[in-house]
Amino acid sequence: MQQVNIERLLKQDKPVPLSPEEKEYLRTHYLKKHDVIPKWTHWFNAAVWGFQLFTGSALINSTLFKFMPDWWINMVSELFGTRANLLKYHILVGIIWSVVLVVNYLFGIKNYTIPFIRRNFVLDRDDILWLINRGLGILGMKVELPPQGEYNAGQKLFAMVAIGGIIILIITGFIMSFHIGSAETVKWAIVFHFIAAGGVVAGLFVHIFMAAVLWEEHPSLASMITGKVNELYAYHNHFKWWKEMKKLELEVRERERKEYEEKAKEMGLLPEEENN
Amino acid sequence: MARYAMVLNIDRCVDCKACVIACKAEWNVPEGYSRDWVKEIGPVGEFPNLKSAVYPGLCMHCEDPPCIKVCPSGATYKDEKGRVLVDQELCIGCGYCADACPYGARYIHPDLGVVDKCTFCQPRVDAGLEPACVETCIAEARIFGDLDDPDSEVYRLVYKEGAVPLHRGEVNYGASVFYMGEKEQVELLLEKAPLRKTRFSTAGTVWRIFRPLLGVAAGLSFLGVTVAAIYQLIKGEPKIEE
Ligand code: HEM
Repeated sequence: MQQVNIERLLKQDKPVPLSPEEKEYLRTHYLKKHDVIPKWTHWFNAAVWGFQLFTGSALINSTLFKFMPDWWINMVSELFGTRANLLKYHILVGIIWSVVLVVNYLFGIKNYTIPFIRRNFVLDRDDILWLINRGLGILGMKVELPPQGEYNAGQKLFAMVAIGGIIILIITGFIMSFHIGSAETVKWAIVFHFIAAGGVVAGLFVHIFMAAVLWEEHPSLASMITGKVNELYAYHNHFKWWKEMKKLELEVRERERKEYEEKAKEMGLLPEEENN
Repeated sequence: MARYAMVLNIDRCVDCKACVIACKAEWNVPEGYSRDWVKEIGPVGEFPNLKSAVYPGLCMHCEDPPCIKVCPSGATYKDEKGRVLVDQELCIGCGYCADACPYGARYIHPDLGVVDKCTFCQPRVDAGLEPACVETCIAEARIFGDLDDPDSEVYRLVYKEGAVPLHRGEVNYGASVFYMGEKEQVELLLEKAPLRKTRFSTAGTVWRIFRPLLGVAAGLSFLGVTVAAIYQLIKGEPKIEE
């Protein structure tokens, strides 16, 4: 089992066919993908989105703006008693959400926020190629997908839309709730609030489908719960990230081994060396 | 059901603006703003044939009000007695409605940041009183009542005496405020009373463009995902991790 030569795999620049032993090794080893805090933030955020879309879709109520049918608007309004109540809950949850997210991003600025933006807000050559080939793949062509980092290009795009959307939603939400600025400001706030929400929703269908429905991505869903992802999945789907993490792991292990050895030497626990 | 309405007899109106002041006092309307107005139209024509008229006005409580169509939050609504009202708790102060009103009957309250307008004195009327402007009018130029009630004075004036709403061109939303008086003056008022075209701010236009785009984006996304899900169902679960 331990005979697997990871170095061989690390030398490649894309996934290669694996021997059964290698496969078994990767299947049974895990890498950490999500810390506890981002994990909880994600599910908190998802729950809030559920609630805000539910209430928000019923709050938009005019010929010019609405996109849900009247029966839906009435049903949701009745659930909350009055429409004024409905709005109150929408605003309350929005405020709690903003505070949690802002506190999260500020406290995690070094550990989470900046690394996340660095990693995921830039598309490299592989990412662009990935998007094109993925598109062709959906159209039925057999094309190879270039290796991907921690998140693939599609996930990166969604992350940008989602986080950009969230920032716009929070700012415009506050403007609307507290009538900040002139009427003209509020007018624009409404439009951007809806555009941001609509844009994220468009991406969200795909996001949730990938996470919750698509078989191949089940390890990804598991990773959002356990925080870990098996290496076989990482190897195939996020090769560049797998390589980076694996190298780091090996480096750390090597360093620890050396440190341990040195210490052992100092303490005279390595008799053979002393004999030399 | 009832449909509250007001008839304004411009023959009697002496442009004293007591109604405007009474309204301001009753509803604490901030300085520089007003829920109702008395404007002077004219004089038009050539001396010595000058014509002029007074134009006392307020929210016309339209049957099919353009302000309601554009209100994003549903704060503006028509109550069961035909009054166009604003739920200020729901109002976010965007002012789309104020732009849409051809009569200019709405303003944004500078302290509250929400829209304010004539309510046909809803609280007073519901308590059995007359609207403040009606009660105050020394000339009894204002008559308030229920247009659905055949015994009411407004019913008589509108259906028998021919009081007319201030409609002109596309501004034709079923106003519940009617004008009567000397024919020439009423005609002048109908012709010359300042009306605005419904304004549509740039923001509103942007939304009009984006709404279908967003619909298409979300629709395609949903459709794609559905097709993919069905495809996966048909194909069945793949062999583990290949
Ligand atoms: C029930 C709903 C949801 C499920 C099942 C779900 C599932 C997941 C999973 C499994 C991941 C991890 C991807 C990976 O590391 O491989 C993820 C990441 C992420 N989720 Fe969600 N999610 C949901 C709702 C949302 C919502 C509402 C938002 C924001 C609007 C959101 C935003 C994100 C973002 C920004 C990431 C980072 C990676 C990426 O962009 O794909 N998620 N989600």
